[in-house]
Amino acid sequence: MTADTMQQDATETRGARLKAVLLRQDVILLGVLVVMVVFFTTMNPLFFTRFAFANILQDWAPVMLLAMGQTYVIITGGIDLSVGSTLGLSGVAAAMTMRSLNEGGTATGATIAVGVVVALATGLAVGLVNGLLITRAKLAPFIATLATMGAGAGLTLVLTGGVQIAGGPVEVIRLGNTQYLNLLTIPLIIVFAVLAVTWLVLSFTRFGRWTYAVGSNGFAARGAGIGVDRHLLKVYMLAGLMAGLAGLFVYFRLGSGSPTSGQGQELAAIAAAVIGGTSLVGGSGRMSGTVLGALITTAVLSGLILIGVAPNWQQVVIGLLIAVAVGVQQINVRTRKGAGRG
Amino acid sequence: MKRTLRTVIGVTMAGALAFSMAACGDDSTANGGDDGKQLTIGFVPGIASDPFFKAMQIGAEAKAKELGIKLLRQGAPGEYSPQSQIPFVDSMLTQRVDGLVLVPTDPDALQPSVTKAQSAKIPVVTVDTTVTDQSYLTSAITGDNVEGGRQAAKTLAEQIGKSGEVFLMSGSPTATTNQLREKGFTEELKNYPDITLVGKEYANSQPARATSAVNTILLKHPNLKGIFAVDGTSGTGTVAALRNAGKSGQVKLIGYDAYENQVADLKAGVFSALVAQKPGDQAALALQNLVDTIRNQNVDKIEKDVVMSNVVMSRDNLAETEQYQYPAK
Repeated sequence: MTADTMQQDATETRGARLKAVLLRQDVILLGVLVVMVVFFTTMNPLFFTRFAFANILQDWAPVMLLAMGQTYVIITGGIDLSVGSTLGLSGVAAAMTMRSLNEGGTATGATIAVGVVVALATGLAVGLVNGLLITRAKLAPFIATLATMGAGAGLTLVLTGGVQIAGGPVEVIRLGNTQYLNLLTIPLIIVFAVLAVTWLVLSFTRFGRWTYAVGSNGFAARGAGIGVDRHLLKVYMLAGLMAGLAGLFVYFRLGSGSPTSGQGQELAAIAAAVIGGTSLVGGSGRMSGTVLGALITTAVLSGLILIGVAPNWQQVVIGLLIAVAVGVQQINVRTRKGAGRG
Repeated sequence: MKRTLRTVIGVTMAGALAFSMAACGDDSTANGGDDGKQLTIGFVPGIASDPFFKAMQIGAEAKAKELGIKLLRQGAPGEYSPQSQIPFVDSMLTQRVDGLVLVPTDPDALQPSVTKAQSAKIPVVTVDTTVTDQSYLTSAITGDNVEGGRQAAKTLAEQIGKSGEVFLMSGSPTATTNQLREKGFTEELKNYPDITLVGKEYANSQPARATSAVNTILLKHPNLKGIFAVDGTSGTGTVAALRNAGKSGQVKLIGYDAYENQVADLKAGVFSALVAQKPGDQAALALQNLVDTIRNQNVDKIEKDVVMSNVVMSRDNLAETEQYQYPAK
């Protein structure tokens, strides 16, 4: 789809092409981000510091992981409501595993390695269940993932009894929080690497093209010989895996597995993707938009605290931000249709 | 709420204990030798999986064992709502328990259940929360969140030398317990003119959100002297922020409750104090009062309205206060 658009662009005048680029959701969002940074920095220069950036990036990392998976899922025309509770479940699963290994005297390296595997496997497993419910049991993605969202949150409470799980190796905290260049942590570097892979796969591989094809027109995709069910299964497993990694990294940041840490995070991820221009009807979306969507929604929180906006107003501001971002996108779509580019 | 619940359990247990002892003294059927005469006390928590209720339950079970009574616990596993709680209360009344310890999830919605118990002549003690009309209740035992907030403010003020900037890290704008603790804290701070409260943020169930907020506040107020984290979630997030910023011990941190992980962080010096509730004591008292009522003994000594005080745990007094740590799973 992106390739089509670009081909069309080539036949148009230079001015029209420039206009098309400027109207792209991700370009608009980049503008919004710049304006936001300038605004917050003017109000409180502390916003433009490495410390503030490092904090924003640490907030951004788990949301971005969830949003990466969500972008794939939404492009296929689906939705994954379970990623927040999967984040919580895999975080406490890793925390409980590491605690018992640590108390059992297992070497730190092995303990952490097993914990990592447990978190990722938990995420993958939930993704697999989602995929099977959707492709085999033929449940609508909204219903299937609503079911696993509730089951996952419940299972987390059963496992933990609702309490925080501490007692893992102290190296976990160091691993999760040691900063390089006073900015990047190991989890952040991994998130950037994973982001590069998911971005490239979405934009340049058959897997990415199939994702768009399934979402644009599942029937036609089937006709074209795409294994739609198999593909959907992989996409939901990817979303689950990302949620597992996010749960692991939240645990690394806190040094304690919290049963509620995923609460509402699925909505943050969906918001990031939708603000980023991914359409809920499927078939279109860009990873660049999602990155900016996640960055804007996390940066705004730090900014509002720094300029002293009362906490309950922060949620109102974020709500408005979502409405405006999606509104701009709609106007955009209509303008393009008007120009005969529908 | 959780704390209150625990209190209820403890009270229930206490009551049960008293009953069994009384039974022992009164006649030979005591201590469960004769099932027909063993007292059965029902306990309905607000939410079965909640650790606060679990701690209360542990306290109640111990007290029931001590009293030689049977404790019947039933409650909704995952939802704090009257709709899911009422069926369990009804079931208790149908089973004709000898007494009921109840943590009402709503003061109005649970009132009819108490009225039903009254017509069945089943005595009721409410713990943590209570119902609108308390006239029939044997006792209403509640935790004191406002006082807990005051204790947090006093302790923090002492620890920072009564002057400097402090910050309030709350859990949720809609949780009553959080609101009451905030109220007590901010009211008490007014007695310290040299202390400035620089702000308040909410974790909204996500500890990482508290970490981020505290990081930002540390950037904005580099001379911050102290923080009050009003619940477990905000506490966990604040602990992570202080530890990573290398400010453990430097910024005084008062937490609320005494879960295992919190006491560990107190020992490690990240929390400078914890305001702990006494759920075991509360549950014990509830059971004691019920059993006394049923056996019609010491009735004049039963207090109708009991506000359980909290205990401030610090590294200095840990030898005496560690017993108040909430039991691990």
